[in-house]
Amino acid sequence: MSLDTVSLNLFIAGMVFLLSAAVLPLLFLRNGKRMLRYSSLISAFISCLLVVCASLPVVVYNLKIRFVIYTITYFFSITCMIDRLSAFFIILIAVVSLSVIIYSFSYIEHMIENIKKNMIVCLICFFIVSMIMVVISLNMFAFLFFWEIMSITSFFLVMSEYEKAETKKAGLFYFIMTQLSTLFLIFGFMAIANISGSYNFENLDGVSSIAVNFIFVSLFIGFGIKAGIVPFHKWLPYAHPASPSNVSALMSGVMIKVAVYGIVRYVVDIAQPPLWGGIFILIMGTISALLGVIYALKEHDIKRLLAYHSIENIGIILLGVGLFVIFTNYNLTALATLSILGALFHTINHAIFKSLLFMAAGSVVQATGTRNIEEMGGLVKRMPFTSSLFLVGAVSISALPPFNGFVSELMIFLGFFQSGALLSPILEILMFTCLSLFALTSSLAAACFVKAFGITFLAMPRSDHSKNAVEVKMPMLIGPAIPAVLCVVLGVFSSRIFTFLGFDLPIPDLLVISSIAIISAIAVIIIVKISGRTKYPVRIDETWGCGILSQNPKMEYTASGFSEPIMDIFKPVYRTHTHIEKEYSDKHNTLFQKGFAEIRLFEIFEEYLYMPIARFVMKISADLAKIQNVIEPDSYILYTFVTFLLLLIIGGWFI
Amino acid sequence: MNDSTFVFYIIFNLFFAVIISPFFMSLIKKVKAYCQGRKGPQLFQTYYNLMKLMKKEVVYSSTSSNIMRITPYINIVVILLSSICVPLVFIPQSSGSGFGNIILFLYLLALAKFFMALSGLDAGSTFGSMGSSREMTISAVFEPVIIIVFAALAFVMNTADIYRMFTNSVNSSMPFLNPIKFLNSISLFIILIVETSRCPVDNPETHLELTMIHEAMLLENTGKNLALMELSHAIKQTLLMALLINLIIPYGLITTLTFTGVILGAFSFFVKASIVSVIVGVLESSIAKSRLFRLPILFMMVFFFSFLTILFEVFLK
Repeated sequence: MSLDTVSLNLFIAGMVFLLSAAVLPLLFLRNGKRMLRYSSLISAFISCLLVVCASLPVVVYNLKIRFVIYTITYFFSITCMIDRLSAFFIILIAVVSLSVIIYSFSYIEHMIENIKKNMIVCLICFFIVSMIMVVISLNMFAFLFFWEIMSITSFFLVMSEYEKAETKKAGLFYFIMTQLSTLFLIFGFMAIANISGSYNFENLDGVSSIAVNFIFVSLFIGFGIKAGIVPFHKWLPYAHPASPSNVSALMSGVMIKVAVYGIVRYVVDIAQPPLWGGIFILIMGTISALLGVIYALKEHDIKRLLAYHSIENIGIILLGVGLFVIFTNYNLTALATLSILGALFHTINHAIFKSLLFMAAGSVVQATGTRNIEEMGGLVKRMPFTSSLFLVGAVSISALPPFNGFVSELMIFLGFFQSGALLSPILEILMFTCLSLFALTSSLAAACFVKAFGITFLAMPRSDHSKNAVEVKMPMLIGPAIPAVLCVVLGVFSSRIFTFLGFDLPIPDLLVISSIAIISAIAVIIIVKISGRTKYPVRIDETWGCGILSQNPKMEYTASGFSEPIMDIFKPVYRTHTHIEKEYSDKHNTLFQKGFAEIRLFEIFEEYLYMPIARFVMKISADLAKIQNVIEPDSYILYTFVTFLLLLIIGGWFI
Repeated sequence: MNDSTFVFYIIFNLFFAVIISPFFMSLIKKVKAYCQGRKGPQLFQTYYNLMKLMKKEVVYSSTSSNIMRITPYINIVVILLSSICVPLVFIPQSSGSGFGNIILFLYLLALAKFFMALSGLDAGSTFGSMGSSREMTISAVFEPVIIIVFAALAFVMNTADIYRMFTNSVNSSMPFLNPIKFLNSISLFIILIVETSRCPVDNPETHLELTMIHEAMLLENTGKNLALMELSHAIKQTLLMALLINLIIPYGLITTLTFTGVILGAFSFFVKASIVSVIVGVLESSIAKSRLFRLPILFMMVFFFSFLTILFEVFLK
């Protein structure tokens, strides 16, 4: 049996397991027995392992496996192909899903109704299936079909706590955005099909540029909405806090990566965008990265903070993709490879550390019962394991060595550094501007995670919520522990992995560097032990507080206090609305009776982009409602007739 | 060049950095004292202080966690690692597993800073937290400047590797006469000032005042932990000085390993670094600490300097 067949069989076995895991809870929807859910989760776990095993040889040996699942007509068939890129994304999806599934074992048990627990298990499994199928779909029909399943299952998952008003708003917002995304994808795909004459994703090289530009823009918007690129990012900070943490981990870790897959696949395989496309991607990436982290800094809701960081990291991935396009346009193959590998490596790294952070944050939220980090603090002593897991994630996302986030950002940095090879002054200046903003982004991310970790876990508890917190159960530690280990492994072995896969990149060998670090750490500890021998024991005493009688949590720095200097520097971005209402008891407005004042952050995108569009749509639908408010059926028949006629004319025009 | 030379390089560079670093700390103090009309401490005072601190009692705050206990060790190890990135006396010819990567060096410093800021928050003291907040703010705003400075250098020398940059400087006859390198040397000097928390960004002399940044984070550290933190701060200062010196006046820096070369190189580095320390000391005595929120203006200045170098290079190429 060849390696292809083994991989394919393993893959199909995995998918069958996963589907059965998805269907099983549906059969016993109202049954409260834990074992049913557990068996379903276990089979999902096994299937993820199988899928990883199936995909690894494809990535390592660069195989191409093509198969047809179901043929409806000649045009409409579900054809799949697993190549290196797909297999890479399958591994990403499966690995994150694996840890989320383990985490879910005890996470979903805190919900009350059985039907909800079972539904979540079922939906998560369907969600994973649909994401895996999206990345292996070879034709548009299959792609859109699974893309829609992915969108709808994730919508239902966001709506898990549908009773809350916040969730309802988030769900609706998400639903509209996700449908818009599909709409733009359909535009793009139809255009591709029109040009190439086939519903498979074919290479479009040598096609007239106007059509390709249209396809590029509409697909970029379509995928961009799903990936959360600024200015289409607003659904992320709504949907993530509203949904359960395991769902957030999956959505932020994996689902937005599926959109990245779409962009990468288009850029690499389908049509090489022109130079302006690369510049466009680069600028969009820079804006997303910078605004994502700047908004994250002011955020005190831990899950919303993480959601904003997803926007930032998608921006960083886009920087890599944009560099790839620009370098390819100048035929700089080595630099282009470095950039796209950086982007892809950052994709998997972000998937890993973001799911880790969301799971750890979920544990914290479950233990404290609040998402506001101002009410936390002191958790490092109450939840030691969760806090160390969160720390690993925080260090990785801040791109600090030797963790994985560092390596991928380093690759993108190196791409920028060598942009001197471009030989176009204006472009070089643009590149260096983007580079400095990217540097700003990554250091602001570090500042933000010092805040997130420091305020959440360190110092004294700031409220009873965190005072009474206890460590979460075992599965909720093992689940995030897998990505935590991967953060270290992917970082330390990064250059070895790339060499193994056949890419020779100019990145530092972190394995050597970490071994030197370990040796010097041991040496330092020994030297300090020998030379620092004192007759005094270690003393534990109160924090020195400039002569105050006793330290209390009210004196501690708050999250807003911590980020205040940065907010002050970036004042123009955080414009605020001050709203004051006063009532006076006399007509000359002299005797103040009661009042109300509010300072609200000015949401630029909501005010200038979303609301105008929403108002426009509302106006049109109000006008349309007038037509609809007719009681007689004959006018409806007339509408149908006119529509039919119009379609015929339009159809005749084009064919 | 083989691996054994590289191992020798690592050990030599590391020990050399550790041994000479505290000297420059006290030298700067001495210069500042002279400027203020005092006699100042002895030139070896920092060594005595470190040794004294090693023997002192260690006190931890009851609110602090393991972050406080591991940070000094993480800091010193990370700074020692980053000392391998910057050759002080001789440049190893092997790329050395990419140790010379400029981004690696900068992010190792950032790692140390990250943990230092966390330890500032750990004890729950307002001073420490204030220090962390300000340190992270400054480093965040300053990061683009540093990256642009090094991007300009990488652009000019066509490499992102510190070893190769140094070799490039050694091979050119008068690097300081090169306008681009000269402009960048100003930026590098300001980086040295900012990263080592000196005036006008931070005032290392003040204690328990609302102006301090770096010292505030170290406030809860005692005994050997404080010694480790201070030593790593001193080494960091030496490394940043070495970046400036070896790029602009690389005389004495050797590329092939010989015994006399090492001795002469070590001596010349020592002299050059002493001169830089004196300049730093005089500069620090002559300007006042500026307000925190005025710092971005200074940073923008440095930023434009380095961007100017890039523009210069782009349009004159």
